Amino acid sequence: MSLADLIDAFVNLDENRVLGIVEKLLREGTDPSEILEACRKATTIIGERFERGEYFLSELVFASEIFNSVMRVVLPELKRETKPLGTIVLGTVQGDIHDIGKNIFKAFAEAAGFKVIDLGVDVPPERFVDAVRTHNPDIVGMSGLLTISYESMKKTVNALKEAGLRDRVRVIVGGGRMDEHVKRYVGADEWADNAMLGIRKCKEMLGLGG
Amino acid sequence: MTGAELKSPEDLLKERFGRVEKAIELGEPDRVPLIIFTCGDILRKYAKGYELYFNYDRAREVSVRFATEYPVDVFLAALAAEGFIFALAFSDYPDIAPSVRFWTGPMHDALGDKYTRWPGRELPEDSIFQFIGGQFMEAKEYCKLSDDPITFLNEVILPRSCLNLEKPSSEKANVALIRLGVEVSRYLKFLGDSAADLAKVGVPSLPLTFAYAPLDFIGDFLRYPTGALLDVRRHPDDVKRACEALVEPILKVALSLKPAGAKYAFIPLHLNEYLSPKLYNEFYWPTLKKIIVALYEQGIKSLVFFEGWHDPHLETILELPRGWGIAYFEKTDVRKAKKILGGHTCIMGGVPPSLLLEATPDKIKGYIKDILSEVKPGGGFILSPGVADIPMPVPPENLRALIDAVEEYGRY
Repeated sequence: MSLADLIDAFVNLDENRVLGIVEKLLREGTDPSEILEACRKATTIIGERFERGEYFLSELVFASEIFNSVMRVVLPELKRETKPLGTIVLGTVQGDIHDIGKNIFKAFAEAAGFKVIDLGVDVPPERFVDAVRTHNPDIVGMSGLLTISYESMKKTVNALKEAGLRDRVRVIVGGGRMDEHVKRYVGADEWADNAMLGIRKCKEMLGLGG
Repeated sequence: MTGAELKSPEDLLKERFGRVEKAIELGEPDRVPLIIFTCGDILRKYAKGYELYFNYDRAREVSVRFATEYPVDVFLAALAAEGFIFALAFSDYPDIAPSVRFWTGPMHDALGDKYTRWPGRELPEDSIFQFIGGQFMEAKEYCKLSDDPITFLNEVILPRSCLNLEKPSSEKANVALIRLGVEVSRYLKFLGDSAADLAKVGVPSLPLTFAYAPLDFIGDFLRYPTGALLDVRRHPDDVKRACEALVEPILKVALSLKPAGAKYAFIPLHLNEYLSPKLYNEFYWPTLKKIIVALYEQGIKSLVFFEGWHDPHLETILELPRGWGIAYFEKTDVRKAKKILGGHTCIMGGVPPSLLLEATPDKIKGYIKDILSEVKPGGGFILSPGVADIPMPVPPENLRALIDAVEEYGRY
């Protein structure tokens, strides 16, 4: 049982095998951060398969479930935090309470090495503003499923402008109904209509090459 | 100017509905029909979200106002949330089942259901209603669902998913059902009045009934969408058996409106875009296909909303009988769909709501001109923005551009 086996089991979404290997590796004294690194590699491969059309949303849902289960076991064992790629303040915007997409994005963003501050659903503009002041993130990620979310996203960007914070962050909108039109309407820097595209764009915005 | 203002409402109704029917029959009408569907977002131009779902008079007024200002070939305002679990739970009673298919704000108040959230209740007053679903069944209960879906839904799921039905036979639960009945009769009156209002201004409604994809039912009402997706991997046989067991009661609900003249069954899909072709063909499509075919054999065509990106599954639609109904696409490119399904399936869609929100009227017209030049020939096409609604801030001139463009570039 090695880290390579872990990556293989994870990429093939073999839930029981993944959890078995993680438990064994921890028992044998493997550095938890190496386990996380292996999961990171696995989720990168899963993301690539998704973008190539070999994996679908249901595989991403299952992979985020597996990742979250691994995190529950590994996080308490972590002795030092690795430096994140960047910080993302994330939330479903005011008036919208859907979070399946946001949660998939969050799991994959954390797996990719981002620190994610999750504000939950129905998040008013002022809470985004407060969170930007408190956490000084690199990116603000606004999620939404319904068409009413477009207005709230625009209001949130305006609130960031009024607070003088807009230039300090990059803003990405995410959700199944996001596109170039919505990006322009909202005044965001980027858009993504699936989690993997969102993560690629977050990396690109921070000059990390996709 | 279309000359529409010179025609009587009766003539307009006939002309518009005939246009839509012709397209559904895979023919070429006089021009491409335009259908607008809303769950309320665009109607917030005239009234607060709260009023649309709690005040039937206001809802009537704004629906007809919209249809007068923006006349289209069919206008569908679904100002009520998904309540299919009630229709299914009561599917042995065809006089009741279809009436509780959708929930309005006051019905949510009566039931205290945990599936939906409403403006002025759990949401800001000017929001729209939202279906959120939930997990009300354990994975180990699949066998109970499969063995006797109706009993399981009534005795186990409704008490768990509706606060006011928590204790069956209690005073509170009985009162909740009486209140629901009272609201249902008010809602049915509203539906009838609303259709009559629209008819008076020459805008037809569609004689609809409703069905559901069995796996979506499990995802939306019993296990939450992500739960159902995990079950497909962890409990594949249980999921398959449950989907099979749901086919018959779903058909009963859909057919219950046939005597009242229903001609089309609306089936909104959710998990279609989540699934790989392998999983779609194994867990989702077989039972949905059974339902569509059985309805077709009974003279009811389906109006299936293929939510999101349906591209990987397009070819499976060809397994249905030619002329089975309407494939309403959201993110799937209708040009691609027309190439694959043309002459077999009526295709609907083509206008991203975000385009109406952000583009100029000229850009919108140009976009529609381009798209129609490809999908119009041969007929069998209906232009429509997605079921995802039209956002309230869409400027009036953009909505007019949509209507003018179909008039200008949609003629055969």
